[in-house]
Amino acid sequence: MLIDMGTTGGRVLMALIVLGFFVLAFGLIPLLQTLPPQGRRALIAIVTFLAGLFFATEFFLPLTEDDKNFLTPGVVPAQRVLQVIGSLALGLGTYGLIRLHLRNVVQKRGQWGYSVVLMLAFLTMATFSIWNTLAEKKLVAQPEFQKRGFTLLFDYTLVQLDASMFSIIAFYIYSAAFRAFRVRSIEASILMFTAIVVMLGIVPLGAYLSDHLLGLPTQVSPEAHPFSLESILYSLRLTEIASWLLNQLNAPVQRAIEFGVGIGGLAMAIRLWLSLERGIT
Amino acid sequence: MQTERKSFWDRLLTIDRRWLYLALFVNIVVFLLLPLRLPAVVSGPVRKFYNAMERLQPGDMVMVSSNWSASTIAENQPQLEAVLRHLMRKKVRFTIMSVEAQARDLSLRLAQRLAKEYGYEYGRDWAHFGFYTDLIVAIKGMTNDLHDTVKQDVKGTPTRELPVLQGIQSLKDYKMVIDVTPSGTVPDWISYRPKNLIVLYCPTSVMAAEAYTFLDSGQIEGMLTGAKGAQEYEQLLGVVGLGTRFINGIQFSHVLIILTILVGNLALLMKRLAQEA
Repeated sequence: MLIDMGTTGGRVLMALIVLGFFVLAFGLIPLLQTLPPQGRRALIAIVTFLAGLFFATEFFLPLTEDDKNFLTPGVVPAQRVLQVIGSLALGLGTYGLIRLHLRNVVQKRGQWGYSVVLMLAFLTMATFSIWNTLAEKKLVAQPEFQKRGFTLLFDYTLVQLDASMFSIIAFYIYSAAFRAFRVRSIEASILMFTAIVVMLGIVPLGAYLSDHLLGLPTQVSPEAHPFSLESILYSLRLTEIASWLLNQLNAPVQRAIEFGVGIGGLAMAIRLWLSLERGIT
Repeated sequence: MQTERKSFWDRLLTIDRRWLYLALFVNIVVFLLLPLRLPAVVSGPVRKFYNAMERLQPGDMVMVSSNWSASTIAENQPQLEAVLRHLMRKKVRFTIMSVEAQARDLSLRLAQRLAKEYGYEYGRDWAHFGFYTDLIVAIKGMTNDLHDTVKQDVKGTPTRELPVLQGIQSLKDYKMVIDVTPSGTVPDWISYRPKNLIVLYCPTSVMAAEAYTFLDSGQIEGMLTGAKGAQEYEQLLGVVGLGTRFINGIQFSHVLIILTILVGNLALLMKRLAQEA
């Protein structure tokens, strides 16, 4: 059924359909609550299995010349349902957050002042952010104080705080490197040597040290034998060693790890799909 | 009670971590301000990235998947800025999308600023699709029907009315996707994109090690590793951007960390020798 959203009648009809779905959905929740636990489990297992079967079959079935199979047209509507569920999860998270902190304030639990700050910050940011989004779409006016308020909150508060929080990790890493990188065994020595070479080799300073202090050749002629002095000296450049470590040692190991993770993920997906995972139902 | 006097090496090994923090802070500030420029050796992945971008023709369509928040601004902003500059220089059309809520505004503002500089007009030369909750859903939807999935841009204009998307029905009509991200989103692009779409990757430094396997297989055609990758790319573009400004802070922090590790090991060795003696 096609609804013309350009007309008032079409928009009213769409609003009624959405409202109807909400009533149906909220009516279903108490109905589902009346089901015995085994019935609920069976229902969730069936829905999970059917959803998994749909996406897996659509992915694995051969495609025709236009890159589609008979299930492909159903992908977009199914994904819209996923987006709605994702958006509901955001709403649920917000509800949970406000409920928890409101309770902290009302019952004056320990450190309830932080809850007040959190709720005030949340409401202020949400108000200015939603206002800004609506103004971008020209749905509401954007007075100067709103524009400045959003810039102050987003650019000069949130962005700066977020960046500062993450940058603090550098200080912890530095402190941990000093305390943990100790040559206590051959393995630890190899790790330390490798780390030092890569850390120097990937930055311009590594190239500077190789070229100017050690005087190693900056290029090698294509005709040079791999074991000629020129090739060997070129290979000893910090940049070349770091590149070799990343490409020839790191990449195969990463590939092996990713294969393992992939197989583990597949096993986990099958367990989830068949509702064998504990705590799912 | 007589307390045993600690040796110099002992004191060094148990140094208060706040001295270390101060040393790193001073090191970063001094070398960020120092007007020292060491030329970068352009690495293979960055060279490949640049060459892939150079092969684009004016009017080609590129998707920029910007999925970073302010926490990785020091690495991802230099990358995105360098990439957008190159796209605008090449007169390539592009659209931006985000699966990270903050990235929507960060990338929009950055692109708006650069668009003014290069005379790029919103809607005609570029557009921003806004925030999506799920990347796989978005990729699969846009591969089937872009207009049915995106519907409208951040300004509320229906995508079918955007001049920049004239002749574009789905992701299959794009030439390239550039994923600027600190997260593991690139395997999603590799798995679900239309197979004609070239993938370029701009990860943070810690994520880059995992991507070499995709570079080897050719599933990613090029990669900019963190701010260091951005510096190499800026050198190829001939601009002084954030990557070039940040690299001194990065490389001399590496030197400081290496020196500190060596001093720590020397202190341990000296302590052991003293105990044996």
